Amino acid sequence: MPLLQHICQVIYDSQIGTQIRESENLFSIIESVHVLAITLLVGTIAVLDLRMLGVVLREVSVTRIARAVFPLTWSGFGVMFVSGLLLFWAEAAKNYTNPAFRIKLVLLALVGLNPLIFHTTVYRRVQEWETARFSPWRARAAALASLTLWCGIIVAGRAIAYF
Amino acid sequence: MSLRPWFVALAHSSLGQFMQNSRWGFAAVEAVHLLALTLLGGSVLVLDLRLLGLILRRESPRVLNRDLSRVLLSSLAILVLTGVALVSEEALKCYYNAAFRWKMALLAAAVLFYFTLYRRVVLRLASAATLASRVTAVISLSLWLGVGVAGRAIGLI
Repeated sequence: MPLLQHICQVIYDSQIGTQIRESENLFSIIESVHVLAITLLVGTIAVLDLRMLGVVLREVSVTRIARAVFPLTWSGFGVMFVSGLLLFWAEAAKNYTNPAFRIKLVLLALVGLNPLIFHTTVYRRVQEWETARFSPWRARAAALASLTLWCGIIVAGRAIAYF
Repeated sequence: MSLRPWFVALAHSSLGQFMQNSRWGFAAVEAVHLLALTLLGGSVLVLDLRLLGLILRRESPRVLNRDLSRVLLSSLAILVLTGVALVSEEALKCYYNAAFRWKMALLAAAVLFYFTLYRRVVLRLASAATLASRVTAVISLSLWLGVGVAGRAIGLI
């Protein structure tokens, strides 16, 4: 058995993992929180992405919207991370072999890379373009990548239950 | 008057037949439902937090509402269309499902509230949040969250 699979099995067999899995409601409750908090994480960052694409709120500067949504997006990330970790704890051994789960992890890594590139490049000179109705192409590309990747993550996440 | 015949008709419609017989139909439509929910939730959150005076305080609520209501209403349209398709797959199960009934009642309340009091408050709000705008935001957030929770519960009970 590969090491990673072995680790997943140990997590799966742990007391906490077993408790979540075998509890009557716990798994469903955590899963519901995980689903509804998508709006807090992805729904808020989508507003910024749509602004940079020039779809909404063209009169409002990009930095104002960024400052408004980042705390929401980050708190959404916190809720998603904790609830996601607990769900994984309960299903680690099954998740390991699940193709949708693997795709979701790859997409998550990519979506984490996106703001890293964005903030160290085009966003550093945001003062030059924050009030432009359409953001420069690099910012639009980052927005499009963010929207596409998050869509993929949501769909892959939902698909975990189907495998 | 019972709504049951409508649910039976939906189940027997060609949409219902397609959804019941297709292998990936339900999963695909459900995924779109979830994506539209994300956009609706995002626009509702940003608008309501503005009404609460927590974010974008210097931005006019009218401008925010003009653009974000477009996002809200177009995602709502997608949610309703995909929702009908999802119901058609298991129409009678939904009809007797308590969570489904709650969801429909809360959805009707949320949409009604949005088109009446909510709009009025948003359009009248000059700048700083008022007691009325805060109460409106709390009611709106509660109603939409209720729709989401009840919706999630349909598959669990």
